[in-house]
Amino acid sequence: MRFSIYRYNPEQDSAPWMQGYDIALRPEDRMLLDALIRIKAEDDSLTFRRSCREGVCGSDAMSINGRNGLACITRISDLKEPVELRPLPSFPVIRDLVVDMTLFFKQYHSVRPYLINDEPAPEKEHLQSPEDRDKLDGLYECILCACCTSQCPSSWWNPDKFVGPAGLLQAYRFIIDSRDRATQERLDDLNDPYRLFRCRSIMNCTEVCPRGLSPSRAIEKIRLMMVKGSL
Amino acid sequence: MRGAFSGLRAWLLQRLTAVYMAAFSAFLFLHFATDPPVSFESWRDWVMRPEVSIATFVFFTALLLHAWVGIRDVVLDYLHPMMVRVPVLATVGFGLVALEAWTARILLIS
Repeated sequence: MRFSIYRYNPEQDSAPWMQGYDIALRPEDRMLLDALIRIKAEDDSLTFRRSCREGVCGSDAMSINGRNGLACITRISDLKEPVELRPLPSFPVIRDLVVDMTLFFKQYHSVRPYLINDEPAPEKEHLQSPEDRDKLDGLYECILCACCTSQCPSSWWNPDKFVGPAGLLQAYRFIIDSRDRATQERLDDLNDPYRLFRCRSIMNCTEVCPRGLSPSRAIEKIRLMMVKGSL
Repeated sequence: MRGAFSGLRAWLLQRLTAVYMAAFSAFLFLHFATDPPVSFESWRDWVMRPEVSIATFVFFTALLLHAWVGIRDVVLDYLHPMMVRVPVLATVGFGLVALEAWTARILLIS
């Protein structure tokens, strides 16, 4: 199977370049990550992140034939040759397919992704009705792989000011949590021209999310909560 | 930039003006489909009826406000240096205000 893979080692290369590989795959090689591991066995200079190999850790997010996805859950049989692999678009490249996610996590932390509740702690736990718990479905499953944020043009234009789809999905996950007490504070924090309202509903985020989540729907719900709050 | 035209307010303004423009466009289409003007004079007389000229003026006001939010969005996305952004926004704002004044002169004052 033929691959064309982005290569860049800032210590050696003056500019990025694409390297071609022609690899004989074995019957047990079913996912793209299997192929990448096969390639690395032949060329150990190729650098990429991977860990759980089952779509849970989000380490091996990359651009696969122009579309962001996780190598470990992308079937080889679905890919058109030569398979073009690049690092996540717009993120600074550390080496080959490994990108610097510092800004991504800075935006994620800026939404305070944890419960804020200053009330006296209950004796055992904060109880939640099944209906309130259901509201978290489609939100808590995010693995922070950055496929969505890296494919979002609004994030390309203002990565330092726009929170991005992954961060906003997590913002809504805590805004809608019945145990959280900082709902209005969280909404006020997002109500400026950049943090949420750079979103133009392009919906690339929803299109590429490997977990099937919809950050654009979460963003829409935050906007509606802001509208209701302003009436 | 948490002023009157930032964040939620700008977003809401863009949508509300879009709704008005869509409704007014549908009204115009239905009117001209069912009662087309027979001459320029009859068309002008219809436009100059107070309820029509005011509704038309509101339409153009909505259009200019809608354009302001849209152009401002493009500027915020693409023009990052303040030395460029501020003159561009000022020029656009001045142009849109001039267009509004011209619209008022045609529809309300003449």
